[in-house]
Amino acid sequence: MIDTIPSEVINWNILNEIISMDEDDPEFSKSLITQYIDQAITTFGQMDEHLVGDKDLKELDSLGHFLKGSSAALGLQRIAWVCERIQNLGRKSENVFPNRIELLSTLPSTIGVDAGDLSESNDGQETVENSNGDELYLNLIRQALSQARIEFKLARKELSHYYKTEL
Amino acid sequence: MSYNNNFNINIPNSSYQNSNTTPNNNLTSLNTPNMNRDRSLNSTRNGIKNENSIGLNPSNQLDKSMVESLQLTQDSLTSQMNTNSNTSSLPPQNIRPSTIISTNSTVPSFQSNKPPSNEFVRKLFSILEKNAYPEIVRWTDSGDSFVVLDTGKFTAQILPNHFKHSNFASFVRQLNKYDFHKVKRKPDEKPKYGDLSWEFKHPTFRIHYEAGLDSIKRKITVPKKDTDASNLNGSTTANVNNSSGITSAQSLNARTKESLLQNMVSKDSFNNLKNKVSRLENELKASKEEVSNIKIESDRMNSRYTTLLESLITFKTVHESLTNNFNSVCSILVHRGIDIPQNLYNNMATQKSPQYNLQNEAALNNAMSDSSSGSPIQNMHPPTLMNNLDSQIPMINTPNNDLLMSMSSNQKNRIQSPDNNSSNGSSSLNNNSGKNINNGNGNKSINESSTSNNNIPTDPNEVTLRKGFHVLLVEDDAVSIQLCSRFLRKYGCTVEVVTDGLSAISTLEKFRYDLVLMDIVMPNLDGATATSIVRSFDNHTPIIAMTGNIEDQDLLTYLQHGMNDILAKPFTRNDLHSMLVRYLKDRIPLCEQKQNSGINNGSNANNNNNNNQLSPNMIQTTPNMPNASQMQHNSSISPTLQTTMLQQPQQLAPSISSTLQAPASIDSNPTSQLMSQTQSQPNSRNSSTFDGNEPPSKKSRV
Repeated sequence: MIDTIPSEVINWNILNEIISMDEDDPEFSKSLITQYIDQAITTFGQMDEHLVGDKDLKELDSLGHFLKGSSAALGLQRIAWVCERIQNLGRKSENVFPNRIELLSTLPSTIGVDAGDLSESNDGQETVENSNGDELYLNLIRQALSQARIEFKLARKELSHYYKTEL
Repeated sequence: MSYNNNFNINIPNSSYQNSNTTPNNNLTSLNTPNMNRDRSLNSTRNGIKNENSIGLNPSNQLDKSMVESLQLTQDSLTSQMNTNSNTSSLPPQNIRPSTIISTNSTVPSFQSNKPPSNEFVRKLFSILEKNAYPEIVRWTDSGDSFVVLDTGKFTAQILPNHFKHSNFASFVRQLNKYDFHKVKRKPDEKPKYGDLSWEFKHPTFRIHYEAGLDSIKRKITVPKKDTDASNLNGSTTANVNNSSGITSAQSLNARTKESLLQNMVSKDSFNNLKNKVSRLENELKASKEEVSNIKIESDRMNSRYTTLLESLITFKTVHESLTNNFNSVCSILVHRGIDIPQNLYNNMATQKSPQYNLQNEAALNNAMSDSSSGSPIQNMHPPTLMNNLDSQIPMINTPNNDLLMSMSSNQKNRIQSPDNNSSNGSSSLNNNSGKNINNGNGNKSINESSTSNNNIPTDPNEVTLRKGFHVLLVEDDAVSIQLCSRFLRKYGCTVEVVTDGLSAISTLEKFRYDLVLMDIVMPNLDGATATSIVRSFDNHTPIIAMTGNIEDQDLLTYLQHGMNDILAKPFTRNDLHSMLVRYLKDRIPLCEQKQNSGINNGSNANNNNNNNQLSPNMIQTTPNMPNASQMQHNSSISPTLQTTMLQQPQQLAPSISSTLQAPASIDSNPTSQLMSQTQSQPNSRNSSTFDGNEPPSKKSRV
């Protein structure tokens, strides 16, 4: 079965270890995170392209895997979790994705979610009917991707707060 | 009610379920011997119960037959049984035995003090004699037969009053049993007593002829014991008055009943058999299941065994490559005459069997010959490893210990060899003396290893790594690259990065590294495949998989592809460190080896001589090894070793410089790092060679 999504946006045990490297190189962790943010935005864009374009599940799988790795390395565990779902959906080894409300409800109460994100969007669900096999997974990945973007926004917010600068 | 209790308790489950649905099954379930014994001891209930059981299991009733022998005819008995077996003629309340017991006033008992054998006939006779219902039933005019004028009224009035039922068919059956016959009219004859009349006739059943009744008997005979049983019933049942009518009314159709009885018996055994069969079927099913479970289990064990075997073999390969790797390091060390720290020396004596030492030395020889010939090492000595598989198993978690030990023995050799060299003088090559010395050393280390087997390996996390290891990081994710290379530099390694499997292969073809960290999922070529290709030409370099896929099957696949270990993503600094320690703890960074050999090449003729002597000696210390033929092979190529050793540094040199200059290299200050490492190195080297080495290495770096 699918593990449940971690509650905390950031696993600070992991991130703190990276931040501790700043002793030698003051901007190290921050530059790493900046790099990650660029990478994530790029990856999301690539996923979008594959979702509307060639609908290549294999590509989506590897993009999910790719972003999962770097997210996990930085301790951004919720994004890593969603990316793993995308990876597995791309492999068709999973065929469900939890709905947004359910996922966001696992967040700690201190985290504020944008009202717009709280409303369940319909993208991905309209076309569930005409599922010619891949369409089901593509729709679920669409859902997962929009969830990943929300998680990304949350993580970015928390990181910006930590570094006291807009990242 | 206790009857019911007995009933429920004693019957087997299957028949119990049936018993509530059909009376026949009730009888079936009652047929257990215990039940019958119970019932027969219970005098108040005997009447009913025996009726149930008589036909079914009569033997239990035999001992009761002595009580009294009232001559009940088989007729009444059978009819009574018929009552309980719920033929269509029975009143509804008789369907279940328990009901019969509770409604005592209607219990059909055929108790009487005079011979009641044809109670039914006598009752009928008395009705006719009294002529109480001339419009319904009466003697015919001739007086040798009687006629039922109105069957409807007869059924509605007379039968309930006198025969305790209201079923005309039953009455007719009863008559038939006593050999009455319906008087048939000829087709053209006009019915004398009306269309609905039924006329019955019996040869001795005539008006006013009571004596003739005695000769009217039921047509069938029933075994005597049944009669006895019914006698018993009669004597013990309280209900005298009501019984006779019913009995006679039910004594029709005896033949049908009997066949029915027989059916019941056979149904009994049928049910028993059925139960038995279903029980057997269940048993068969259960054992089939068991067998299939066992099969599955054994399959599982089998696959586990295969997996284990595979990983052992993988481990063997890993070990082999490590051994080779280490031996090449050692060979260079020996070549250089470098001293080795005391703690390493202590460790090396641990856990080693004599054969193992020998084997490692053999491996060392192989490694040396391998590096000289440039051929892949992987097939060099599988037989040895196979033979030593057992001794390897306990050390699976600390493969380095073996290497360490072999190193220590080599070190010993080396430690002594410089002295010997100095005594022998540098004037000429003396193979013989060198051989002797080395032989002595080899024996020594063997002895030592056999005596000290209880050394505990040091905790990897407490070990400080040497600085200056050159690591190839194969990873496509920029963040992971930054992070990992950062960690590696923190531990004093220099890092080079390539971002896919293909580049990893081409890089490893050109340069040598102390360690490779390899991502699995990468563009162009995945890490596992890349590793298997790398293994075709490089069996030394440890390759560690970095992956988030840590399913057992995946891990096995990676190992089978020739990867040495797996570092699960995301990993912490400590994870990485312990992995580095595991594979690099006892190594000397390649760059230092290169430095040293480079110096030797250029400046130290004595060391070269020493090296040249070393390999033949090693061969001679292992004459009993299974791979003696390989030894032979080694010794035959040993003359080329000298040139090999001389050439090796030159081969390595380009990789150092190009590594440092490579655009992908992340290390920002390799030179200073390497320098400081060299200086901080705790090992006490031969000071003369060390001093001589340093300036050239600096130059080559800068």
